[in-house]
Amino acid sequence: MGRQGGRLNILVNLFKDNVKTVIPIAAVVLVLNFTLVPLGFSLIARFLVGSVLIIVGLSLFLFGVEIGITPMGSLTGTSLVKTNRLSVVLVAGLILGFLISIAEPGLMVLAFQVDFVTLSEISAWNLLVVVSIGLAVMVSLGFLRVVVHMSLKLFLLLCYLVIFVLAFFTQPEFLAIAFDASGATTGILAVPFLLALAVGISRLRKDSKASEEDSFGLVAEASAGAIMSVLILNIIIGTQEYAVASLEPIEVTNTAIFLPFLAHIVDAVEESFISLLPLTVCLFVLQKTLFHLERKQFARMVKGFVYAFLGLIVFLAGVNGGFMAIASEIGLRLAMLENKAWLVVTGFALGFFTILAEPAVFVLTHTIEDVTSGYVKRKAVGAALSIGVGWAVAMAIVRILTPSMQLWHVLLPGYIIAIGMMYWAPNLFVGIAFDAGGVATGPMTATFILAFVQGAASAFPGANLLRDGFGMIALVAMAPIITLQILGFIFQARSRKQGVDTGAES
Amino acid sequence: MQKANSVEQEYELICVIVNFGLGSKALKAARKIGVSGGTIMLARGTADNRWLRFFELTDIRKEIVLMVCEKELGRAALAEIDRVVKFTRPRHGIAFTMPVGGFIGASHHDYEFKEQNGGETSMHRAVFVVVDKGKGETVMEMARAAGVRGGTIINGRGSGIHETAVFLNMEIEPEKEIVLMLTPVELTDRIVAAVREGLKIDEPGNGIIWVQSVTEAYGIVT
Repeated sequence: MGRQGGRLNILVNLFKDNVKTVIPIAAVVLVLNFTLVPLGFSLIARFLVGSVLIIVGLSLFLFGVEIGITPMGSLTGTSLVKTNRLSVVLVAGLILGFLISIAEPGLMVLAFQVDFVTLSEISAWNLLVVVSIGLAVMVSLGFLRVVVHMSLKLFLLLCYLVIFVLAFFTQPEFLAIAFDASGATTGILAVPFLLALAVGISRLRKDSKASEEDSFGLVAEASAGAIMSVLILNIIIGTQEYAVASLEPIEVTNTAIFLPFLAHIVDAVEESFISLLPLTVCLFVLQKTLFHLERKQFARMVKGFVYAFLGLIVFLAGVNGGFMAIASEIGLRLAMLENKAWLVVTGFALGFFTILAEPAVFVLTHTIEDVTSGYVKRKAVGAALSIGVGWAVAMAIVRILTPSMQLWHVLLPGYIIAIGMMYWAPNLFVGIAFDAGGVATGPMTATFILAFVQGAASAFPGANLLRDGFGMIALVAMAPIITLQILGFIFQARSRKQGVDTGAES
Repeated sequence: MQKANSVEQEYELICVIVNFGLGSKALKAARKIGVSGGTIMLARGTADNRWLRFFELTDIRKEIVLMVCEKELGRAALAEIDRVVKFTRPRHGIAFTMPVGGFIGASHHDYEFKEQNGGETSMHRAVFVVVDKGKGETVMEMARAAGVRGGTIINGRGSGIHETAVFLNMEIEPEKEIVLMLTPVELTDRIVAAVREGLKIDEPGNGIIWVQSVTEAYGIVT
């Protein structure tokens, strides 16, 4: 309210938030370093430089999302509905869904891995295009769902029934790839954009309760699309034995501290550029055709994109340069200890804290607070996510330790529970929970935690790096669905008015 | 709460504007003193500086807390909120009170509007209705049937005397809708009565209404 003084408030606040989320991760790593697994100066120094880069990068990126990508998403949604033509809404859903998915760096990495593992039986482009089409169709159907007022619960139930039936006919490798593809497509830019899009589309509904509930669920629907498309791809080409060329664990050869970051900056610039390109093109096209914003407002969004671009570069350089190597080293060294319980406990702790530094998680919790006027607080959602992801990573480790345990032994009961809970959980929380599943599998999980799990797996001769790593992502995508619906039950019970029905004259 | 509230009772609206996250603390402080409840809305504050404007660093998330209570209680509540939020320090937010002509809800059932702006008679009054999320549209329909021409629905969250749950050390404040209607003086009583009856506000947990004097109003077609 005061008008003088340094007022870098928002950025400073974001910075403080991110310091708070990164410090626990750093603490876990440092404690491990001084107790169970001394890691050496060079790795620790790189890790600390990486932490600083992540804090700076996240702050810039999230700020860019807040003033650029989120407003663009919700404006797109609102403008589309205002055209009042269903065909426009559906076609736009297809185009937007396809563009965000095809430019997702995580999906590209996955596509090339699949290409490599299957000895080019499934080419990278094939997978990329198929998943993008699947996602596009589901985004479009998701729009249709809101427009025709179909309940999200019913829609998700149908989606997962289709997935179950398809999964029955697919081979295990593909099941893992499918779930990973869903995690990969709902990445660092897709999630903020899809969340905002859904908020924009549902904002115009007159029924304020329904409008709030429809603000969530689009990310979940998009993820389901990615899963379905990979499963269908497998059924089309048929089951076959692949000469699975196993992935090499990340080698730690470099002892330099700053050099790895420089090496990763080129990649990070390229990755950030590719992922932001389609949205940037959309922004300019939509400005000319639909938005017609005033110069100043438009300039603000463009500046937001610049912030997001810079932040993304710094963030990715920090994660890839500083976090990957140390995580796989910790995983490997802990796995070689006599007492395997430490590995499971560390897995839980890393999952618990890392998820809070996931960029999309911040965007999700922020959106929830905005949409619910602060009723569902960030702290509550964060706690539920942390417990869920911590549990998921611990389960992934347990699975590596017990070779007889299959991925579906955990996934199937998990999803049955998650879908069963849907029946009783409040609508709002069903949308939030299923969205959180897609949100949880962002760049932090896909690099830091994945490296940890693969590092641990590489200590066991019997473990399959590809399958175990992917399994972890599927688990991380599932666990929050359960924990957030539990949170929904708690909120429902606690929001009930006390003493209204019993003592009418309180 | 079971005070014999006679018609003599004077009410005040406490309005607190603080940075995001402090709204719940302010409300909690006021409730400790005895304020029956409050409603919190999200808002944005802006700063003024050319450079910050260039970098688009001007927006700050804010929360506005609205609470209605008896005049003397309001003084004490404001002092308690000040103790928690510390308004005297720069950038800690602002707080102010406004007179309220009439208040129904939270076990105050005697409604009779009293002018409070020093005898200056006004043409319009502002009617505020706070209800659970989703009922705002219903309130508008009732009010429209009673003759009001339009209104504004504002999203918020809040807690009343029946909502005092805590989870993980944070207050659970269910979502609310605030309906604001500017009405001609002669219509006010009818609208208040219609909404009061329609919502069954005299039964606990169904919402609150308060009415304030308005000195000038533009844009109202009658």
